Amino acid sequence: MKRYHAAYSILGGMLFALLVLNLIIGSVYVPPSQVFRIIFLRQETDAAALIWTIRFPRAIAAALLGGALAVAGFLLQTFFSNPIAGPFVLGISSGARLTVAIAMVTALSAGRILSSWEMIFAAFIGSLASMGLVLIFSGRVRNMSVLIVCGIMIGYICTAMTDFIVTFADDTNIVNLHNWTKGSFSGMTWGNIRAMIPVVFIALLLSFLLSKPMAAYQLGESYAKNLGIDTGRFCFELIVLSSILSACVTAFAGPISFLGVAAPHLMKRLFRTERPLIILPACFLGGAAFCLLCDLIARTLFSPTELNISTVTSVFGAPIVIYIMLQRTKRGAASS
Amino acid sequence: MIASNFLTNKAKAYDSISYSGKLSHKGSQGAGCVTPITVRGLTIGYGSKAVLKDADFEVRTGEVLAIIGPNGAGKSTLLKTLAAQLPLLGGQISLMGSDIRKLRPEDIARSLSLFLTDRPSTEWMTCRELVSAGRYPYTGRLGLLSEADWSIVDASMEKMGAADLSDIPFNNISDGQKQRVLLARALCQEPNVLLLDEPASFLDIRFQLELVSTLKNLAHCDNLAIVVTLHELDLVRRAADRVICLRDGRVDRIGTVDSILTNHYMEQLYGLPAGSL
Repeated sequence: MKRYHAAYSILGGMLFALLVLNLIIGSVYVPPSQVFRIIFLRQETDAAALIWTIRFPRAIAAALLGGALAVAGFLLQTFFSNPIAGPFVLGISSGARLTVAIAMVTALSAGRILSSWEMIFAAFIGSLASMGLVLIFSGRVRNMSVLIVCGIMIGYICTAMTDFIVTFADDTNIVNLHNWTKGSFSGMTWGNIRAMIPVVFIALLLSFLLSKPMAAYQLGESYAKNLGIDTGRFCFELIVLSSILSACVTAFAGPISFLGVAAPHLMKRLFRTERPLIILPACFLGGAAFCLLCDLIARTLFSPTELNISTVTSVFGAPIVIYIMLQRTKRGAASS
Repeated sequence: MIASNFLTNKAKAYDSISYSGKLSHKGSQGAGCVTPITVRGLTIGYGSKAVLKDADFEVRTGEVLAIIGPNGAGKSTLLKTLAAQLPLLGGQISLMGSDIRKLRPEDIARSLSLFLTDRPSTEWMTCRELVSAGRYPYTGRLGLLSEADWSIVDASMEKMGAADLSDIPFNNISDGQKQRVLLARALCQEPNVLLLDEPASFLDIRFQLELVSTLKNLAHCDNLAIVVTLHELDLVRRAADRVICLRDGRVDRIGTVDSILTNHYMEQLYGLPAGSL
């Protein structure tokens, strides 16, 4: 228990520190004391507009969506009993991006812009569709590599179709669309955040309530059934929740690679457990902190040029995925 | 049959292994009046394809019933159906006197527990955490265990000789140790019926004999009804009170070990030329 308390404290501290850093660092340095006065005392200074309309919503979005993505990753890892499953690796993010791109272009050609809710809905349809494809292709294959290869292929197909749409979409807003398809937190508005808060938190709460069947499912489907879990219903709920979470992320920030795999892995390592009851909240906090860090780097490293968020998350996340695979292979060879 | 002689000589030495203290069991209290499992006119299989037809038998309190038969005869299918993991294609199974199709999953979980050949693949889960999953049918929404639940977890591990493995990740222990931990998990579910699918695979002779004595003790001392599928006839001879033989899509014979495990009948059952045993 002590370890859990300590680990949660570390996570909370990191999250807070990164949130503050994201507010003070940028093209213009705003000292922490001034940030405090702007946010809590509503002080009207030159920097107030910058903090309120740009940095603060962006930081909140990065934290919320990063957390959501990590939780989605953990849900998928539990479902596929595969430690490198995640919304991006399985092509779910790319599917969501495709449907959002289609919806955006359709809306733009009709002369209007999609609302936050419509974006989430479009992304959800795409997530579910890709998830369905992954399920069909992988069938009952429990082989980790086959599943991942299917996911990556679906991801490529969706990405190709998205690029096609973006290339031939004829509109002035195409620049935005192009940025978004690469993954970015720039241009977050409070309206976006008002839409994502209920979606993310309700999905999170419902996931947390699935802790018990999830823990049983970690032993495998047969044992879960023997422990009185309605596995059919549980799997359905898990698929819907992970799709909603990844859809919400993709709708607002585009695809973010590897965070959904890396964050849960780091959390399990930090807490030295895989109990969903402990790891789910940890994934949210850890994913939020990870994403804030990556966005900070994306914004500031080559400022004023901004990197795509995926560029940064890949640098950190991909080596972790490779590490997990190597470790698994070694373990598999040792036990057989 | 050299291995058989070896087993006979060594068996006594391991008879008392991993058995210490008595865990309070629902199975030992007043369960004697209800037959734990009654099977009538049972047809089982996958989809619409029947693997086994018209099976009639019961599993009694305090006995080890072994299911034997050639590969593909439906041993595992029968076990999975008894565990309510596969739908019945026909007939009826009563668990503790109630139709299994009318019981809620959590009610089944409280009276029947399962031990499978496949080892769960885990990462950080400790043995104690894994065993504690056996208490889930008794917990609330979040699966939080009470003090009483934890003491049952610890007692089960103690009883199976796995107490010293408590804080070690399940992934890091040997197959023989995994067997003890998984048995402890099955036991802390406080079942009336324990079903085991090929529990002896992966195990060396020492752990196989340990398994045999554990099963006998659980049946004879704790009054569990135990159903086990086994390949090794030597182990069947050692562990089982009664044997049920599956062949050609039906129950071929049911009877005591002595009446079933004759060389003549085994040759018939497994389709061996006469005189090969």
